[in-house]
Amino acid sequence: MLQITLGIVTSVGGFLEIGSVTTAAQAGARFGYQLLWAIALGTICLIFLVEMSGRLAAVSKHTVVDAMRERFGFPFFFIVCVGIVVVAFMVLVAELGGIGFGLQILTGIGFPWWAVPISFVVWLLMWKGTFGLIENGASLLGLVTLSFLFAAFRLHPSWSSAGAALIPSMPQSGKAQYGFIAVSIIGASISPYLMYFYSSGAIEDKWDRTYIPINRFIAGFGMTFGGVLSIAVLIASALALQPNGILVDTFPQAALLMTTALPKWGFYLFAVSMIFACFGAALEISLAIAYFFAQGFGWNWSEDLEPSKNARYAFVYTIIIMLAAIPLVLGVDPIKVTVISMALTSATLPLAIVPFLFLMNDPIYLGKYRNGWISNTVVAIIILMSFVLAVISIPLQIIGG
Amino acid sequence: MGLVRDVLDKKLMDREDCCMGRVSGLVMHVSEHAQPRVTHILIGGPTPWMRIHPSLGRVSRWLAGMWGPKNGEAVRIPWSRVETIGRDIKLDVEAKETGALDWEIWIARHVIERIPGSGSEEEE
Repeated sequence: MLQITLGIVTSVGGFLEIGSVTTAAQAGARFGYQLLWAIALGTICLIFLVEMSGRLAAVSKHTVVDAMRERFGFPFFFIVCVGIVVVAFMVLVAELGGIGFGLQILTGIGFPWWAVPISFVVWLLMWKGTFGLIENGASLLGLVTLSFLFAAFRLHPSWSSAGAALIPSMPQSGKAQYGFIAVSIIGASISPYLMYFYSSGAIEDKWDRTYIPINRFIAGFGMTFGGVLSIAVLIASALALQPNGILVDTFPQAALLMTTALPKWGFYLFAVSMIFACFGAALEISLAIAYFFAQGFGWNWSEDLEPSKNARYAFVYTIIIMLAAIPLVLGVDPIKVTVISMALTSATLPLAIVPFLFLMNDPIYLGKYRNGWISNTVVAIIILMSFVLAVISIPLQIIGG
Repeated sequence: MGLVRDVLDKKLMDREDCCMGRVSGLVMHVSEHAQPRVTHILIGGPTPWMRIHPSLGRVSRWLAGMWGPKNGEAVRIPWSRVETIGRDIKLDVEAKETGALDWEIWIARHVIERIPGSGSEEEE
């Protein structure tokens, strides 16, 4: 049952982080419950994708990146590498900024001052920690995000209205912004690095075919955990921010979604939740980028090995974390980076998911465990939809500001 | 066995199960009087980049000549050293002796082992 921590850390780190909290808070503040369907859709798709990446690792003993390089060759791998790593790097900047914002709320010291110490702590944990420590530590700390659920319940939401919002509908005004936020929510939910992290975690934890049932449970439970918490953020935002006309343009505005439900300590609880959630995400993304390079180029890699035993792998995360601190030191707004990177994630989804779907249907890797038509159809439809939405909404948002 | 499907881009392991990189290219001997045969496996260097575009291969060779272990060429492993081809390709060689780990060793010595807690202290 300890394997469930992989699901929770994947969920907290890759799902419930600054991207999903910001986009869910913006959605609730601007459109009430109306965008709940986007979170539900993202969650369903993520359950399928995470289950598939765990199954691929358990059956073939290949991570997603391993199999992709082998099956599609170096030129294709390189294109995917550039697209995924650039977007994942932007998300890492946003996550480190999220921790900085949380600390800014708690201490009053501006987030740029926190960029270097935060990056150092993230790096130090990767340098000295094992995969188990990162997995279990981030999962345990991430449980503080249950406070979002507590806040949503205390605001007594209308469950019938929330249920109705699970069916997509168009707003009367602000259609471009609505589309852009929908795309961002899906991008925040379905981050490709999350699949790379999860399949690498399955190899680190030495999964085999006997783990297929537990993988299914972990994917379902872990991602539903993140999805429910994102829904809670949206509901709390819809009830606390929308009636007061507060739009989430800055991080402290997002924190207000907790203060109506928990007036005394909601603001601080939000900060602590964001610190832990973003910390888990920063670890996960840094690991995922290092895994991506190491697996793609065939280097030694394992978080359980000492850095001198897999020098190139350790070098990649060291450099990536150092570089990610620079924009924050220069005062780049993490909320802006978050919003752009979430939409770009949606736009780059086909790059990651289409080859993955081919792999999941390849009998060489999966034999009788390859995908059925339901998994293929669900993922293909959602990816196509998010891509179309991204292509339409991103230019509209840029033109319309 | 399909060379592209079963060999190209597969991960290479030495006799101690140390990762040596991936198969970047294959060298074949072609003559009029005999069947073509694979003579060497190529690892790293400009080979993978040349598969995207020859000019990238030239840039890679130039960059590798400026930094690191200054070895801009691909490592060549005789095909006769291939032991098994399965999930990975197992070679009857010691990775360090082939040059496939030159970059790994260079980065370890010049960067990683200079940072406290890298694990190199215990070995000493």
